[in-house]
Amino acid sequence: MWSWLFQRITAVLLIVCLAIHLIYTHIAGIGDLTYDTVGQRVAHGTFTALDIILLAAGIYHALNGLRMVLMDYWFTSRKRALALTIVLWVVGVAFLVYGIWGLWPYIGYKVG
Amino acid sequence: MSAKPRETANVGAGLWKATGMWAWLFFRISGLVLVFYLGAHIIIISTGAWAEGGTTFTDVMKFLEHPVALVLDLALVVAVLYHALNGVRIILMDFGIGIQKHKIIFWSCVAVIVICFVIFAYVAFSYIANGENPWALTGVMS
Repeated sequence: MWSWLFQRITAVLLIVCLAIHLIYTHIAGIGDLTYDTVGQRVAHGTFTALDIILLAAGIYHALNGLRMVLMDYWFTSRKRALALTIVLWVVGVAFLVYGIWGLWPYIGYKVG
Repeated sequence: MSAKPRETANVGAGLWKATGMWAWLFFRISGLVLVFYLGAHIIIISTGAWAEGGTTFTDVMKFLEHPVALVLDLALVVAVLYHALNGVRIILMDFGIGIQKHKIIFWSCVAVIVICFVIFAYVAFSYIANGENPWALTGVMS
């Protein structure tokens, strides 16, 4: 029930944030991608916040989706499903912490 | 169609004639592709935080502007848009909206994807052909 609800909530978040993210990276960004230009973009607090929301919502949505797919195949019993859920939470939290660690130094980034 | 042939029409290979089943299958495939992509994306983009001055990152970015990478990007755009729009279709059905019209909604989603694909492909192929992005926002963020 909760995983179903959060899958919908993160879906809506992803649609909004990912639209902005994709337009910036795939339309406005092509031809202008260097360490400095990307660094300047994520230096803005708005983009850092957007990226962290994307990171958290994306990881939750992706791993919960993967969990639902896997529970259709081998992880069918309650015991296996629980083991899978725990492993995916550990992987997800690790990726989230790593992603935030990667984004944080750029806040206020200036060229040079 | 009467009740009997409708039942038998959904058995075996006949099942895969239903739009909804294909929608479900592509949703699942695009979802798995996107899980894999998200992991790769986080790992690749985070190279920026490892290298002093970002030489590795700039090399990665140069590769991402290579024609091969741009064409792969277009495949990604299709996967993302399909997963997003079919997801909206599913959320609508959760609220009981459009269940009778789910096939029309499915094909509307496909139409929107084609339109968006053309826009993204125009930018990508202009860049491949001229080395210039027609809609670049250079300097806007700095």
